[in-house]
Amino acid sequence: MNLSQSSTLIKYKNYRYFKIAGLLVAVALVAYVSVKPADSLFYGGTWLSFVLGVTSALIIIVLMLYGVRKRVASKVPERRHYRTSVVHQQEERNAQDDFYALHKAERRKRDIREGWRYGGTLQGWLSAHVYLGASLIVLASLHTGFQFSWNIHTLTYVLMLLVIANGFYGLFTYLNYPALITRNMGEDTLNGLLLKIDKLDELARIRALDLPDEVNALVLKARRETRLGGNLLQQLSGSQHDCPTDAAILGIRLLSKTLIADDQPKLMRDLYSVLLQKQKLVLRVRNEIKIKASMQLWLYLHTPLSVALLAALFTHIVAIFFYW
Amino acid sequence: MISCLLIRVSRNQQGLPVLKESALAGESLQIGRGAACKIHLPDHRVGLLHATVRRSEDGALYIEGENGATIKINGAAEQSAALSPGLRIEVGPYLLVVEPVPDGRDIALSVEMAHSLQEKAATCRTVPVTLAELGLSKRKLGFSLASGILFLFLLLPLLASTSTTFDKWQATLPVILTELWNPGPLTGGHSVFGAKCTTCHQQAFRAISDDICAECHKQVAKRLREDDLHARIFKDVRCTDCHQDHRGKAGLVLHDSLKCVACHGDIKGKYARTEFDDVRDFATDHPPFNITFPDGKNVVHVRQDDKGKLVEKPGLKLNHQVHLDKKGLLSPKGNTVLACRDCHRLEESGAHFAPMTMRKTCQQSQCHVQYFIEPVEEVVPHGSEREVLNRLRELNARWLAGSAENMAACKPESGAGMAASHTLGCVDDLARKYAATFFKENLECGQCHEIEPSGNNDVPWKVTPLHINRDYHPVAVFAHSRHDTVDCTDCHDKANSKPSAEIAMPAIEKCRECHAGNRSVKGKIKSTCDSCHRFHRAAE
Repeated sequence: MNLSQSSTLIKYKNYRYFKIAGLLVAVALVAYVSVKPADSLFYGGTWLSFVLGVTSALIIIVLMLYGVRKRVASKVPERRHYRTSVVHQQEERNAQDDFYALHKAERRKRDIREGWRYGGTLQGWLSAHVYLGASLIVLASLHTGFQFSWNIHTLTYVLMLLVIANGFYGLFTYLNYPALITRNMGEDTLNGLLLKIDKLDELARIRALDLPDEVNALVLKARRETRLGGNLLQQLSGSQHDCPTDAAILGIRLLSKTLIADDQPKLMRDLYSVLLQKQKLVLRVRNEIKIKASMQLWLYLHTPLSVALLAALFTHIVAIFFYW
Repeated sequence: MISCLLIRVSRNQQGLPVLKESALAGESLQIGRGAACKIHLPDHRVGLLHATVRRSEDGALYIEGENGATIKINGAAEQSAALSPGLRIEVGPYLLVVEPVPDGRDIALSVEMAHSLQEKAATCRTVPVTLAELGLSKRKLGFSLASGILFLFLLLPLLASTSTTFDKWQATLPVILTELWNPGPLTGGHSVFGAKCTTCHQQAFRAISDDICAECHKQVAKRLREDDLHARIFKDVRCTDCHQDHRGKAGLVLHDSLKCVACHGDIKGKYARTEFDDVRDFATDHPPFNITFPDGKNVVHVRQDDKGKLVEKPGLKLNHQVHLDKKGLLSPKGNTVLACRDCHRLEESGAHFAPMTMRKTCQQSQCHVQYFIEPVEEVVPHGSEREVLNRLRELNARWLAGSAENMAACKPESGAGMAASHTLGCVDDLARKYAATFFKENLECGQCHEIEPSGNNDVPWKVTPLHINRDYHPVAVFAHSRHDTVDCTDCHDKANSKPSAEIAMPAIEKCRECHAGNRSVKGKIKSTCDSCHRFHRAAE
């Protein structure tokens, strides 16, 4: 998602879903303040709470449908170019040619037709997902009447808040991290950088052959033990404790003061230069991995927590009506 | 000088050897990864100068490790070895084989990389660089969480509610499964049901019926059924409309006035024969209180604004003004300043005052202790008229028997002897004479009691029975204990009340000084219908 896409997400159709969500929240707050329940005790059993609960549940279902809408996104013509199959690519190229050959007005009509067919554009769905999801904080909180206990009802509420908080983090990453990635990677790709690192490793190995064993050991260790990626925490940390590449650079700097063979200073300088280049690339790769992991991790929690929320919501409703 | 044919062996894609020969010559042949070595083995596992081929004094060629480096000769680590055809020398990853000596050469060596180092390229690393490569699965995690929730929070509580055996078993667990569905703590007596939800929720997806409530609350149900008015008006009202549980400290009863006002706001329109006025809010349109008190023989209910009828007849002459004089009262124990609570003592319930008695209340400071002066000084018993007369008879009989002089007071005027019948008659006459001094209006007993002739010669005086009212609002809920932050006289104007017929109950305006109605008012106590009225008590 680039900046214009994120801007579309927030401002979609002149803040259409912001207005809808805001209206929902305003109505709920006014109702909560003006409708006095029996004993002025607001809890899940009052009629207003029931209305708020049903509204919140429906919104949650709509939010869950965004996941379904995303999966049918590839069927919408504007998304066809994402397909990877060669046959499909050819078909899609033809379809795209046809598509772009259409008159602009016709294309708009087709957009609207497809939009209706698939329930609106994906941008619209995402915008609604964000704003309606945020409105749940108020709607569901008022539904609870702020009565909490150790039960499935509170668990449902807590899961919902976790999903929303997680979603906010996801929104933050989608709005901010693409710029960080561009700044870090430029025109390069992760695989491209890894290839460059490979070449620098080999170059360093060759340069080190004429140098003493200590230097070779450092270069070999830097090649073998410099870790890029790793487990979840290692990916998220974006660093390596006692990085062998850093250690090799430091070691060579120290050794260069003691080695005085005729042509070794030049060899050492060359090797040092190669390792410095590698160090820069390693940092960029680690940054890339860290940013991507941060961007992806929230979704690894958002989706499972959403499914758990759906189960909890179902149980909550069954429990309420089972013991009516 | 050593002349050597060096054969470098590499392998093509089919694994077949590819040979490349070159000639070397020198006093010695250095073997190592250093560029200066004649036999250059470019691998970091080979030393800079690993070994050297030299000629011995007897002309034979031998290989020797440099700087302590060992070389493997036919698989065994050696420091040096004589070179002969067929000898296999391992230097680092390289295998050097002494080949048969060709013409014009001192030695022929073939060199082949035997243990190629397969460095893993960064692009082929096994370390994952994306979350997807970690094997994390959103789907698996989501379904696991959802399954756990459905099992723990749906299936197990459902089993507990449908299977008695399972229900009993789950009661022994540290976490009671059905509690996981409990939206809030049960109230009061219902808390004994604990996690046994089916006590009240007997049918799944069905609301609790009134019959279930009536299984325990038999008396309430009976009264509601038998009371014709309530049976007709509240036939469609369920217990749970007014009693909702799981609300924790808020309690079981809805304290809201809405449901009461729904009928009582237009009670005359709903029930023409009613004696009640319409009422919507205590603060605005609640009618004046009804005062209930004994009117002689009967108990009457009089509206407080009907002041002409608001006269009590307790049968006791009590001047509150005298008793509450701030200067005090002269009592046998000295000057005593009385407070209301000296006589009116709250019962432990806090709702009513304990009944007052002559001995504990009126005689507490030796006040109101009456004495016979004649024939002897003795405490007058506080009992019935007959008890007083009999006590006087007893005292007079004893006094006459005490001495001849006393008996002389009873001597007949005729001078005849003292017949027994005459003596008894004399005792009775004396007793009646003294009793008459007590049973007088405004004196002795008459100071407090109303006395009238009984028409009975045996006991000719009659003390009017007392009707001390304990509760002027018997159907309302009122606890004096909850009002002890104010003085009694703030509500009851008894300090200026002389006759006991005055009813000093506070009017509704007095209550409204502190109590608001259905809506909260700053500085006042919100008071709904059930603050004073009880629905089920009204049905009694």
